[in-house]
Amino acid sequence: MAKKPTKTSTGEPIRKKPLGTRIWNNRGYYLMFLPVLIYVLVIYYWPMLGVRYAFYDYKLKNISYVGFKHFQTMFGDKDFWTSFKNTLELSIMKLLITTFVSVLISVFLNEMGNLFVKKSLQTIIYLPHFMSWTVVAAIFTLFLSNSSSGFVNETLKSWGVIEKSIDFLHKKDMWRPIFYMINIWKETGWGTVIFLATLSGINPELYEAADIDGAKRMQKIWYVTVPALANTIIIVLILNLAKVLNMFESVFVLYNTRVYEVSDVISTFIYRKTFLQNIPNYGYTTAVGLFKSLVGCMLVLICNWASKKIRGRGII
Amino acid sequence: MAAEAKVAYRKPKKHIHVFDVVNYIVFVIVALIVLLPLWKVLVDSFNAVGVYQFRFWPNQPTLAGYLTILTTQKLYRPFLNSVITTILGTLLGLVMSTLGGYVLCQEDMPGRNAMSYFLLFTMIFSGGMIPEYLVMRQLGLVDNMWILVVKHGMNVYNLVLMRNFFEGIPASLFEAAKIDGCSPMGIFFRIVLPLSKAALASIGLMYAVTVWNDYSTVQIYITNRDQVNFQYILRVMVMDGDTPTTAYKVSQNTLYYAAIVCAILPFMILYPFLQQYFVTGVNIGAVKE
Repeated sequence: MAKKPTKTSTGEPIRKKPLGTRIWNNRGYYLMFLPVLIYVLVIYYWPMLGVRYAFYDYKLKNISYVGFKHFQTMFGDKDFWTSFKNTLELSIMKLLITTFVSVLISVFLNEMGNLFVKKSLQTIIYLPHFMSWTVVAAIFTLFLSNSSSGFVNETLKSWGVIEKSIDFLHKKDMWRPIFYMINIWKETGWGTVIFLATLSGINPELYEAADIDGAKRMQKIWYVTVPALANTIIIVLILNLAKVLNMFESVFVLYNTRVYEVSDVISTFIYRKTFLQNIPNYGYTTAVGLFKSLVGCMLVLICNWASKKIRGRGII
Repeated sequence: MAAEAKVAYRKPKKHIHVFDVVNYIVFVIVALIVLLPLWKVLVDSFNAVGVYQFRFWPNQPTLAGYLTILTTQKLYRPFLNSVITTILGTLLGLVMSTLGGYVLCQEDMPGRNAMSYFLLFTMIFSGGMIPEYLVMRQLGLVDNMWILVVKHGMNVYNLVLMRNFFEGIPASLFEAAKIDGCSPMGIFFRIVLPLSKAALASIGLMYAVTVWNDYSTVQIYITNRDQVNFQYILRVMVMDGDTPTTAYKVSQNTLYYAAIVCAILPFMILYPFLQQYFVTGVNIGAVKE
């Protein structure tokens, strides 16, 4: 609904009705909002009260106040810092790589003259985005397995590239490259949606002007198409930077005990410290979660500020 | 002189640029990189013997993989759970986001801003995995598949998308309806909803994909094998080698690949027809200025 006018057609300011009347007039809408209100209170706000357990020991049913003990333990915990570092490294690298490949693909897809081919290609490359991480992990685990039916290992062996099967997902130096490659396979196609939308909005006169100046195909791409994307690229990076700490499922379905050192992220750390313990101390993992939420909150606010600066519109 | 004239009248020849050729070749390769793994999964799900080679067609075709899934209670039950939770989760999500989105675009409703901030705050800060778990435990949703419906019952981002969409509906329509004596509820049901079919479809799809694909919620909250969804059972089979069937009429690989196909089937069937709705969802949010 467009903004309501504040003046009548004759220029008289429209006076607002008294508050009571306005509330009464909108009673139906408050009623409509009620289910949303209850839902959000229970599902989002109630857990927020639970962050107080970060200052308590919470084992089984025993709860006792311990102050900042958990934070001290956390900051002294080597595994925690590993997971923190991994979270940043994995998600920022992933973000940069997938964005770069997405831009590359969008730019060249945009050069595709045949509309039918272009549309079909889009349909194909969006596909993996709608598969779950479980499915993607299952597919690649089967392909990369070192059993006799592992596609990659057996193919490489039959070509004589390798002698013995490699257990790709269990090797520390292999895990990250494979993780990035799987991410590229799954997400770059979908990443092109927003870039292609921007590219379809480029004024064709720019290309005509470039033609008149005698620009070659690659020059047009470099001097017209790519600069047009610059703003969108920055926005995409900002939007995703706000979410870098949320990495969970993609790592969880692919990692294993042997590669914790290079793959463990904060969320998986919290998960293991809670659900794989005999008697979990909910207090400790709540503290880790609280730390993550606070840093995440800061990131969102910074990115929101940056987004307002750049495009005059926040992300939240 | 004559030769020049001839040149001037020659129809412009359609050049085949090297660039275009290379571009096509590169994109054929890109498309193959996406499709070949999926094709191998599909072919191997029909192939009786697990082989590592890539085949275009199963050489020992069998339906045993799918039949095992259809007849093993421990496998079809999770599939049904997935279907039920996805349908209910999508409905709940749609109801909540349309209600909330519509209320939030009522210009002269007192408290509208407070309501917006109330919702937006949840996008900035959250209790985290453990406090959430403790709340759900109190609500009796641990070891219960309804957690999937409840947890995805509303997404604030989708609600904001819905609001943005409603705000794009011209105000004159509402005024006309009001003058014709339509009640606010009447306006919502007779004018707003019918106009929002495309937005409803794309946001509904987003909810459906999220619920269907959710694995981590199940992993965290559910241990009872009667309550898990299909993603979970797929994961348990493939990664932990915990095949929940004793009838070895089928090779493990065939069963795994058949399970993967079942896990992606619903959306792969819908996808070609609904692709535009999948994409518009993003565009309502990202491109709208």
